[in-house]
Amino acid sequence: MNRRYRFIRRACALLALVASAFAVKVGDPAPGFTAVDSNGKQQRLSDYKGKFVVLEWHNQGCPYTKKHYESGNMQRLQKEWTAKGVIWLTAISSAPGTQGFVTPSQENNYLKTMNAAPTAVLMDPGGSLGHLYAAKTTPHMFIIDPNGTLIYNGAIDDHPTSDQGDIARSKNYVSAALEQAMGGKPVAEAATRPYGCSVKYKD
Amino acid sequence: MAIFLNIRLAASLIVALASSFGGSPQAPPQHARVELLSRQASVKPNSDLQLGVHFILEKGWHIYWINPGDSGQPPSFNWKLPLGFSAGEIQWPRPERLQPSKELLDYGYDNEVLLPLTIHAPSAIGGRAAEFAADAKWITCREVCIPEHADLHLSLPVGATTSLDQQHSQLFAKTDRLIPQPLPRGWNASATSGKDDFVLTIRAGQPITQADFFPLDPGQIDNAAPQKLQQTSHGAKIALKKSDLLIKPITALRGVLVIPGGPAYRIEAHVRQPIQ
Repeated sequence: MNRRYRFIRRACALLALVASAFAVKVGDPAPGFTAVDSNGKQQRLSDYKGKFVVLEWHNQGCPYTKKHYESGNMQRLQKEWTAKGVIWLTAISSAPGTQGFVTPSQENNYLKTMNAAPTAVLMDPGGSLGHLYAAKTTPHMFIIDPNGTLIYNGAIDDHPTSDQGDIARSKNYVSAALEQAMGGKPVAEAATRPYGCSVKYKD
Repeated sequence: MAIFLNIRLAASLIVALASSFGGSPQAPPQHARVELLSRQASVKPNSDLQLGVHFILEKGWHIYWINPGDSGQPPSFNWKLPLGFSAGEIQWPRPERLQPSKELLDYGYDNEVLLPLTIHAPSAIGGRAAEFAADAKWITCREVCIPEHADLHLSLPVGATTSLDQQHSQLFAKTDRLIPQPLPRGWNASATSGKDDFVLTIRAGQPITQADFFPLDPGQIDNAAPQKLQQTSHGAKIALKKSDLLIKPITALRGVLVIPGGPAYRIEAHVRQPIQ
């Protein structure tokens, strides 16, 4: 392969990334990515073709994230859906020096302490994965179907507060979407306003 | 000495534990001074009065508008009113644009804001004073966000006549100018839906050189995308990028139009769909 061709290919790949940065729409193919997880392992979205994939944006210091972890709600969801074959990827896009930034070992300790059970945690301190999906808040949830199509983009539930007391009376959009999609039905509420703290991007 | 140190340690642990449970309702908020104020000095039976929740924020901290934008949450109030009194909706002053990062944009208030609302007093009021209270909950953010709350109280005398409160009525009057008004007579707003944008057309009978649109409904426009204003001889056309979250056609764009240095207007623009 000559160098010129390689350069063009790279430029095209970069362009594709830029073009998709603000167009993560339900119904479109979910943008592919490769990211390193908290165990140092490469995680590729394409590795999970044929499975449902949940992406969960995370910041352990954010009161809205704490609502769902200190209550055990997020861990319950992770366990329930991974037991049904769903791949659950937690993503951390906090830049170094900002709230929620953790080293891989700090994150692994947190998972243990919180009894959390995602399939993997994607370490994204540079924010490229967050920008690729236009992740706005923690939490911000995405669901990708077995064909690689984005089928949900939005909030975890319908109570945009930081109060744990609201969880019991909330409708969980992620569970509803997964139940509908697994049952062969269209997702009724496929795009909602995500709520929480802003993702602590480096810029 | 060792015992003394242990007691101190235990005491500080108890304090730490207490605060980790969210603190008591009496714990004062850390990043704002919040008070319940009245525009009037007394309550008159069978009349309206205006109360307001006044936030004075610590420098660098902000709270949110009714549509907080990409992150955050508007303050909420659980009112406890005397028997027979009823409360209207908060009249939200025009917000500011707050940008946590280059691709995210929030709507809210920094420094200071008064959130007024109208209270209706019944024709018969029991007692010589009316006691108003509210459980206020809000989230305040700088680089990080902190949920805060306060129990607000206000006692007003009941009288046959009423007058303005000398101390606070000016703050209410100043806030009146920040409350979005209906469009002036002869103005109108309409919108068209394109592939990637809405175009909001304002007809004002005169060119508009600058304006900002604040959407009332989340998930319609991309908050952080620049709003492209094109001045026309009768007003302006403003291109608003559609949100990623918009997957169904909408019939109306509701929001607030702010003319910098001028007033803020409430807008409800019917959206014409593209011709297929």
